[in-house]
Amino acid sequence: MFGYVRPALGRLSQEEQRQYQALYCGLCSCLGERYGFVSRFILNYDFTFLAALLASPATCGQCRCPANPFKKQTAICDSGALELAADCSVILTYYKVLDEIADSGFFRRQACRVLKGLLYSAHRRASARRRAFEEATGRQMARLASLEKERCAILDEPADTFAMLLESVSLEVEDPVQRRVLSQLLYHLGRWIYLVDALDDLEKDAAEGNYNPIALRFDAPSGKLSEQERELVAATLDASIRQMAAAFELGDFGPWKKLVESTVYEGLYCVGHAVLEGTFHAADWRSYFGGKKEQL
Amino acid sequence: MTDPYKVLNIPSTATDEEVKKAYRELARKYHPDNYHDNPLADLAQEKMKEINEAYDTITKMRGTGHGGSGSVNSSGSYGSASYGGYRGGYDGGAAFRQVRAAINRNDLNTAEHVLNIISEHNGEWYFLKGVLCYRRGWMDEALRCYETACRLSPENMEYRQALERMRNAGQAYRPAGYEVFTTSCGDGNICGRLACAYCLCNACGCGGMRFI
Repeated sequence: MFGYVRPALGRLSQEEQRQYQALYCGLCSCLGERYGFVSRFILNYDFTFLAALLASPATCGQCRCPANPFKKQTAICDSGALELAADCSVILTYYKVLDEIADSGFFRRQACRVLKGLLYSAHRRASARRRAFEEATGRQMARLASLEKERCAILDEPADTFAMLLESVSLEVEDPVQRRVLSQLLYHLGRWIYLVDALDDLEKDAAEGNYNPIALRFDAPSGKLSEQERELVAATLDASIRQMAAAFELGDFGPWKKLVESTVYEGLYCVGHAVLEGTFHAADWRSYFGGKKEQL
Repeated sequence: MTDPYKVLNIPSTATDEEVKKAYRELARKYHPDNYHDNPLADLAQEKMKEINEAYDTITKMRGTGHGGSGSVNSSGSYGSASYGGYRGGYDGGAAFRQVRAAINRNDLNTAEHVLNIISEHNGEWYFLKGVLCYRRGWMDEALRCYETACRLSPENMEYRQALERMRNAGQAYRPAGYEVFTTSCGDGNICGRLACAYCLCNACGCGGMRFI
């Protein structure tokens, strides 16, 4: 949901990297087709990973991507998985925007109101398509809001809301074994994303007086953690990543096996580490504007 | 019956040494230690059974026998109990026994309900609360509960084992070559590990610009 979930690209072959690229483009064009041009902008790595998890092995093919008029791009067109990922992306982003409107300062709030307007009809269409997921998201976001209000100091409880929300995506999967595997994997993915996001926002939340479960758990209103507390946060992040890896080994991820493997055995650890060290965003900017376009 | 070589993911021309190596790797992957108190433990156990059968079939076919192969039997230490049954000889109150039984049935709601009624918060209470949290994926609470259980009953081996298992979880299986953790990830530079190739946004023209 926030761009934290990244495979360790260094572990993937050139071909696998191209596949990942194609999946990214495929999701982008699927979003465009289903929800109009603006919704393409909500695309991020987390949603791409979600699409990889949902992709049923047999239906992966390749097609031309219309997204970039200047360069022909290969894109995956596994419609079932991409459509599901696209629908869920729209719903999640819409609720994220609502959350931002409730929490942010004046200027950001206005910007988010504009976004809400832009996504309004996309969200209506998505929620009509995925009733169960829409309901689960609404329910869990309401639960999260009330936990925030009572300033819950138990780390796992607010994390549980986002975890359950993401877990509910697995209900759309037909195969019973794969559904169980995904349910466990997505629960811990959601938990991890929530906690990494809280860790990332620790200092910002302290400055703005926002709710942050990590600050409350360790009684650190300034947002500064001791070495021992940082280790505890890292340990609990690691625990979730390990649960994801254990689930991954029991599922069938077809052509995305390597991608998921490099994410749950390395990518997530690295992102968590960068967030813990405060270098995550610096690296982000460098890779966005640093050139290296020829790599993919 | 499925092809035993396929189960071990090796060609039928593999040498005895390669068969053993493939088997060991898979046995490590699906080892009960990696799936203790895991809601998917039954699936891991099934996998383990398949792998053991495939290995047995191959060794029998090749006449290399079981002796000295280091084969892990499907019974013994890899049996069902080690995937997380709670049959411990605790002779606490009937309520605690009820909680343990519910946990073994994987009926977490009943277990939690009964646990909430018990007013005596002793080591056993915190231990069982920890098991419940762990099964639900509440890892931080689970760790805290196990720590409290050990503090209240320092002599109890079962509680200590649960705590140690969580603290030593870093030794869990990972494929060869993967060795990073959140606390230790090379030089602390995300670009180093992630290969700095995060410029998908540039390729697609519109993908990477996020406004959220």
